[in-house]
Amino acid sequence: MDSLIARALDTAAARGAGYADARLVETAQERYSVRSGVADVISSDESVGIGVRVVVDGAWGFASTNTMTPESVDRAAAVAVEIGRASAASGGPPVDLGPPVTSRGVYSTPVDVDPFGIAPEEKLALLLETDGRMARVAGISARQSNLIFIRERKTFANTEGAHVEQTIYESGGGIQATAVGGGEVQRRSYPQSMGRQQGCSGWEYIRAMELPANAERVASEAVALLTADHCPSDIATTLIIGGSQVGLQIHESCGHAIELDRVLGSEAAYAGTSFLTADKLHNFRYGSDCVNITADSIRLPGLGSFGWDDEGVPAQSTPIVEAGRFVGYLMSRETASTLGLQSNGTMRASSWNRLPLIRMTNVSLEPGQWELDDLIADTDDGILVDTNRSWSIDDRRYNFQFGTEVGYEIKRGKLGRLLRNCTYTGITPEFWNSCDAVCNSSHWNMWGTPNCGKGQPGQLGHTGHGAAPARFRNVRVGVMR
Amino acid sequence: MIGEHAALTLLERALSFSAAQHTDIYLSSQDLGLTRFAGNAIHQNVSHSNVTLNIRAVEGQRLGRATTNDLSDGGIGRAMAAARRNALLMPEDPAFPGLPEPHPAPRVASWDEPAAACPPQLRAQMVGEVCRQGAAEGLNTAGACRTGAQEIAVVSSRGVRAYHAGTFAGLIVTARSDTSAGWAKGGSWRLDGVDAPALGREAVDRAVRGRNPQPIPPGQYPVVLAHYAVDDILEALSLYGMGAQAVQEGRSWMNGLQGVQAMSEPVSIWDDGASPDGWPLPFDAEGVPRRRVEIVGNGVVNVPVHNTYTAAQDGAASTGHQAYFTGPPIASNLFMRPGDRTIEQLVAATRRGLYITRFFYTRLSHNKGCVMTGMTRDGTFLIEDGEIKHPVKDLRFTQSYVDALNAVEGIGNEANLVLNEVGFATRVPALKLGNFNFTGATV
Repeated sequence: MDSLIARALDTAAARGAGYADARLVETAQERYSVRSGVADVISSDESVGIGVRVVVDGAWGFASTNTMTPESVDRAAAVAVEIGRASAASGGPPVDLGPPVTSRGVYSTPVDVDPFGIAPEEKLALLLETDGRMARVAGISARQSNLIFIRERKTFANTEGAHVEQTIYESGGGIQATAVGGGEVQRRSYPQSMGRQQGCSGWEYIRAMELPANAERVASEAVALLTADHCPSDIATTLIIGGSQVGLQIHESCGHAIELDRVLGSEAAYAGTSFLTADKLHNFRYGSDCVNITADSIRLPGLGSFGWDDEGVPAQSTPIVEAGRFVGYLMSRETASTLGLQSNGTMRASSWNRLPLIRMTNVSLEPGQWELDDLIADTDDGILVDTNRSWSIDDRRYNFQFGTEVGYEIKRGKLGRLLRNCTYTGITPEFWNSCDAVCNSSHWNMWGTPNCGKGQPGQLGHTGHGAAPARFRNVRVGVMR
Repeated sequence: MIGEHAALTLLERALSFSAAQHTDIYLSSQDLGLTRFAGNAIHQNVSHSNVTLNIRAVEGQRLGRATTNDLSDGGIGRAMAAARRNALLMPEDPAFPGLPEPHPAPRVASWDEPAAACPPQLRAQMVGEVCRQGAAEGLNTAGACRTGAQEIAVVSSRGVRAYHAGTFAGLIVTARSDTSAGWAKGGSWRLDGVDAPALGREAVDRAVRGRNPQPIPPGQYPVVLAHYAVDDILEALSLYGMGAQAVQEGRSWMNGLQGVQAMSEPVSIWDDGASPDGWPLPFDAEGVPRRRVEIVGNGVVNVPVHNTYTAAQDGAASTGHQAYFTGPPIASNLFMRPGDRTIEQLVAATRRGLYITRFFYTRLSHNKGCVMTGMTRDGTFLIEDGEIKHPVKDLRFTQSYVDALNAVEGIGNEANLVLNEVGFATRVPALKLGNFNFTGATV
């Protein structure tokens, strides 16, 4: 396969590319899904291909092929150069990649147990047992449980001398129970919603979830929600947000907002731009003093963990918000150059046939000092919400509205009645500046988001978000109709 | 492009590798050229092609799956063996109806050679025209121009033989000033169905007229929705309830409303994958012809769309809506019946309300009634005394889409095709709604 990569680079250079990189990706995936007692999907999926990216006359071109022959690779490289020339003819500033990238090495996600070494029978049996336990609860109309395992072997090389080989493992799983009754539909998920929890890890990650042990609880909570009181309607109150929902809050209101390609307008017509414009770097209070946010690609089992990004830049850690102050972006080589900075290694493509984009790595809220019980006891009047049900945010990442699967009233420092249909809404910097407490590392978990959409043609990115429960003051809740 | 003969020959060869009792194979192929621009210049320009075989192997009442894009004998043989192995792992499913019997699918002409063969230079020309228009008004334009071809084919051991090739062309334009943005989007299976200069003018005009928007308090307003916003309503109603799986599990907005007049009398919505007025896909991933399904007729909620599995649960026939290899049935070629008003007449009939170009980042807040939340974007204006008065800052809404379509006061006389990137198309008119619930404002 190395010969195909070398051939792609040679052909691109011979046809006039000033810079070229090639990425050969072989992906194996296993999917298991059980739906209301039926083994809905067992699928084994393979994909292989090579993508060639070039800079010609100062402009980008990209082409790819799934035919692994020298002739096909030559064609892909030639098409990439032709496309680059067409781009150059349209004008625009020439691409500046900054300093050359010459990384070399081999990386593999450390796993205790290779998930592809576990018998499919054992994986299916786990889901059937979990489904059976959910079925014990009366009132559930639909049950779903799933597992996914991914092994991506990727070789990257460029004309500057970089050559890196990586094997990335991911394991994911989750369950969901839906209850219907009395004109109401309610859902509970575990370990989180979005279908599943996922991380760069092995079979041990699935075992630690204890899916069967949580099945009846999850189903019972879905049924209980049918008759729970509604979230108070359109009031401002204190909110304690559970870890998985804080993870999504970071993803939407910080992670996307700090993507420098969005800031510079590259995604303006699709995903949008960002309120965190370049003039705000080191000059903007994003949150309160207890808000510290880091982007890293080294904290396993975060889904943003790897050895090098898809430009060959090494994995690293970058402060984003320090004591509330905005101090860093997610950057590519090209976008970093526009600010006189260097890439912090965040370019990833979802497949061999997609162009690398700036993607969140593991964008995390650093833990604070609080025990969760103490935080609840310290809250006179409020609501605890967790597990995302809906998420929406405007194109500059200011105005957001989230719904959660579950809520609990807090009165005089104690958790009270169960609440359904909880929503909260706000403006990003006002919201993070209202944060007055973050729970400590014993409550901190690395949540995985395996379905982050960005780019055209569309790409689903895999991102990590470390988070612990946190408290926010004066938040508007209960917007439903 | 593989071509019909080569695609079916490939699938026959793949079928010969199968040791399962029954097998079907769904071939999905795409050749895509896409040019993205921002800041009035091209910044991404790509070409890719891929061919994927999606295999289902059946042993008794058990079905296993595998996919591969390795079309060598070794690659196909591995995938076939994996699909059968996966089937043998499955518990028997008494409800599994087996693979579908063959039914001839209609041939629909949706091939346009200029769209299939569009070179990057021509896409650059289309984009260049839009960028020049934006620059002339001091605006920053961004967007994407895509062209290409898609092939689908299904061959099964039960005798299904189906092939379709279609093309696509699309252009998205956002024009931005420091205080405003304008939007336009065009799509067709024909390259000449995408009028780049007209789309540029539309986006630029909205951005120019949208400069210096005024804040407006959230609340209930009558609205005139451009067809882009109506596309969002139909997409959401599809994703959250027009498929039979959601109805069977009780989580669709259709539950409890079938046979009920839940929408205004002029509202009729149907799905028709074989219509050349949409983006035709005449059969689904199971090789079943896509039938026209009347989902809402004169405001009365009718029936959802089916795949083979959900149809068997209801004792019905599949309507050919297994849109993807896995997942539930989806209505993905939707039409709304146009009315008799021009957009100007819809605005003129509004004493005080809002003109909405499009919605953004809309998500389900609650299944019942399909309550959605999202933002307005790229051209929101106040209407007073039947005229567009001035631009307003974008608003958040939280609104039942079913209730919204039960407050229709006028329907535009033109239905426009909105072709989305993931193979989802609607042909929809503009609408005037008597009431829409805005619950927040952005900065």
